[in-house]
Amino acid sequence: MRGADYVVKRVLFAIGTVFVAVTLNFVLFRAVSGDAVSALRCRQCTKEFKDFQRRELGLDKSKWEQYKIYLGDLAQGDMGRSLRTEEPVTSILWEPLSNTVPMVALGTFFAMLFGITTGVIAAWRRGTAADKGSLWGGLAFYSMPPQWLGLVIVLFIAGWLGLPTSGVKSPTLGILDDPSAIEVIVDRLEHMILPALTLGLVVFGEYTLIVRSAMLETLGEDYVLTSRAKGLSNWATVWKHGFRNAMLPVITLVALSLGFIIGGAITVEYVFSYPGIGLLIVEAIDQRDYTVLQAAFLLLTLSVIFFNLLADLLYFKLDPRVTE
Amino acid sequence: MTQPLLEVEDLNVWFDLPNGGQLHAVQGVSFAVPTGARLGMVGESGCGKTTTILALMGLLPPTASVSGRVLFDGVDVLEGGEETVAPYRWKDISMIFQGAMNAFDPVKRIGEQIVEPMELHGSASGREAAARVRELLETVGIPPERAKSYPHELSGGMRQRAAIAMALACSPRVLLADEPTTALDVMVQAQILELLMYLSNELGLALVFVTHDLPIVAQTCTHAAVMYAGKIVEQGPIDDLYHGARHPYTRLLWAATPDLESRDDVVSIPGVPPRLDVELRGCPFAARCDMTAERCTVERPELQVVGDGHVSACHFATTLEVVA
Amino acid sequence: MSPVQPGVSTPDEAPETRSLAVRALASPVLRNKSALVALGVLGFFVFLAIAGPLLIDGDPKAKVGDVFEPPSREFPLGTDGGGASMVAMLIAGARVSLLIGFCAAAISALIGGTVGILSGFFGGKTDTALMRITDYFLVIPDVPLMIVIAALFGRSTWNIIVIIGIIYWTFTARLLRAQTKSVRERVYVQRARALGATNSRLVVRHVLPQVTPLLIANTVLLIAYAIFAETFITFLGLGDPSTISWGRLIQNAFIDDAIINNAWWAIIPPGLCVMFVVLACTIIGQSIEDALNPRLRTGHLSVRRFRVLPRAAQPEQPGS
Repeated sequence: MRGADYVVKRVLFAIGTVFVAVTLNFVLFRAVSGDAVSALRCRQCTKEFKDFQRRELGLDKSKWEQYKIYLGDLAQGDMGRSLRTEEPVTSILWEPLSNTVPMVALGTFFAMLFGITTGVIAAWRRGTAADKGSLWGGLAFYSMPPQWLGLVIVLFIAGWLGLPTSGVKSPTLGILDDPSAIEVIVDRLEHMILPALTLGLVVFGEYTLIVRSAMLETLGEDYVLTSRAKGLSNWATVWKHGFRNAMLPVITLVALSLGFIIGGAITVEYVFSYPGIGLLIVEAIDQRDYTVLQAAFLLLTLSVIFFNLLADLLYFKLDPRVTE
Repeated sequence: MTQPLLEVEDLNVWFDLPNGGQLHAVQGVSFAVPTGARLGMVGESGCGKTTTILALMGLLPPTASVSGRVLFDGVDVLEGGEETVAPYRWKDISMIFQGAMNAFDPVKRIGEQIVEPMELHGSASGREAAARVRELLETVGIPPERAKSYPHELSGGMRQRAAIAMALACSPRVLLADEPTTALDVMVQAQILELLMYLSNELGLALVFVTHDLPIVAQTCTHAAVMYAGKIVEQGPIDDLYHGARHPYTRLLWAATPDLESRDDVVSIPGVPPRLDVELRGCPFAARCDMTAERCTVERPELQVVGDGHVSACHFATTLEVVA
Repeated sequence: MSPVQPGVSTPDEAPETRSLAVRALASPVLRNKSALVALGVLGFFVFLAIAGPLLIDGDPKAKVGDVFEPPSREFPLGTDGGGASMVAMLIAGARVSLLIGFCAAAISALIGGTVGILSGFFGGKTDTALMRITDYFLVIPDVPLMIVIAALFGRSTWNIIVIIGIIYWTFTARLLRAQTKSVRERVYVQRARALGATNSRLVVRHVLPQVTPLLIANTVLLIAYAIFAETFITFLGLGDPSTISWGRLIQNAFIDDAIINNAWWAIIPPGLCVMFVVLACTIIGQSIEDALNPRLRTGHLSVRRFRVLPRAAQPEQPGS
């Protein structure tokens, strides 16, 4: 198979990064937890109580011991218990995760839609008002703090569009009778649209720039001239030759911008009270629930690594020049 | 006398400059190419030779303005601009580009790209097209299995051959070649030239060969046109130009070619070509010519007949000593 | 958060003298109209930040009117949820936000620039080692890092600056490394080396002048991201509770239920300020980058066509 060693190298690198991420996660949150206990101030928080807490959390053992225990627990899927509610973290994370994933997917879809459209228009109509407008539009939205944009959307647009601005489902759905699958889906979508739209608007600007520059680069290539010389129309040339070549950098870009998307998702969920991982994180920060935070961030980091790997492999598949 | 296959009459091309004004890149160029003839267009970089052949296929950017006639089988293809010239692309006239590095789309296989114009113009499809591809590859000396290769998997020489195969896909009658051997090493160069001559002789293909390398033209072409500063300064059968050049520039070009067997010094032509964005007085070559007279700076020389089918634009064309 | 990366330039010419380089740098920026406007906008906010204390009487947070009063002549932008003048709050916020932006960008530039230049210049083991460190920094998730530093060291403005500086230096490092590598390979550098120039001389006299413009462009972009990052950090509740920043003002809009009160004047201005400053920095940074990296490639496709002129009519030629 072509470049089998490339694939293997990439996967190994990803696994290596996973280890680094897990370790970093451990180090960061252990440091915080230890300090959290020391910082406890309450009537019962005597020295004995704090020592007890430390023992409970396993903080009295050596760092190395703690690390091994942590890895062992992780391997078994045990991510500890919430400091606040004592519930196992894995069960706490599940539902928010299932809410966030589709919303972020929809948001990324919006971002790609806006970004690719404006990028192609900008490249196509280079130097004209359409070009400048696309660039300015993308940049302007990119410069807006997501929580602020969300607020503005709630203030001005939500009411006008008649879309809900909080939660993931209508509280009235399913009270009187069993809702059909379609109704449930539509209801979910309605709640997802505004947060996803906000996310998409904040993110797409980067894509516009990259798509535009990739298209301009591609449009200047000889094979585009050859295509025109062969008699293909402008449209056919763009579609058959320009697009595929110009889209290659976009794939890597989506993976690279995941960090930004996740940050955006956190803020957006807060604004729209959307019960996903993002909102969970914000609440956990507020409540100093470090176990939950540790698990949530590990999850996010792992997904970023995973999507980066996916993007690498996808790029590899689409560009036959990649062999090394 | 039968009408020449391709005839160019008084072709002019202007390019709009970003700061206003225009660049007169091609100035009143006229030539004729009968079936089976091979015309070499020689000149320094920027003399307008590439722009000329691009104009023949209407492959000029929107900043260009064109005047003159390009007659293919007696029909002016340039009359309606893009509309009238587009139907001739690849079916009647095709082109191979400099270096062929990027003439091919890097993400598609060679075979696919050769089939593309066939399917586009309806000359073949499916199995028939695949067979024709194999036939074409064999003609240019590439093993037919390479149709499945990607462009980066072929050497420079093979890529250029593949580009020739692609150019022949719809059996055109005129092939325009823009510096086809410039980026290749000498051995490969010789092979490509041989191939082109073979195609011209066997298939009756008319060739317009653009290069800065006069000796190559001497080897392979039946006629030659020497261009300087957007104008043709000398034109005629290759033998006449070789044995009896009637323009100082042509003679200097010959002299500038290192000859292994001769003891003469290698001559280079000092100076640079004139600007094309302002109208010149007198002969454009006057500043660099080795026999400039008063008249040359004031009066522009027109092309005068100096032999059968041989013209030269020099005030001293008829009086120049013939140097063997 | 990932910023949009400027590219690496590879001009072929020999280096100009320092003053020429600066002028070359300044001239396209000044000629570019939108960059000029951006400079003006940035300058306006910097002025507000510096002149802040002179423009506001007393404590900007002081309650000087009713809660959520709409804009009036007394309060051009109304009052916020605490009855303070929005204008005063915005000006105070400008001071803090811009301070954070500039300082964090400076730290990033310093660390990233040093790492990048050293890495690119020396290559080999130094390069590999430094790049490894950079890669690991890249893997550190920014949000947990923010949380941890805030939890361990408290929520102060200075900590915010440090956090942002630590997160962003890697981008600068990579960029400068690539540019340094290309400069190092240039003929005149090789020549200087052959003549016996010491490393420090090579770096100072040859590498730095070529690399500095790109560093400046990158730093300007970093300012934009730092200001943006501040709003995020404050949003997470990790901001300095004692200072007023634009991020804090946006948070206040949430906490004080500005939406319910329909107080658009408390919601829109702070976000707009952030947007304008971030946009301005992005444009300035981008235009510097464009000045260094002219991409004059003509496209082969266009909707418009070339023009065919009738035989008789020919365009006028400017006289010679």
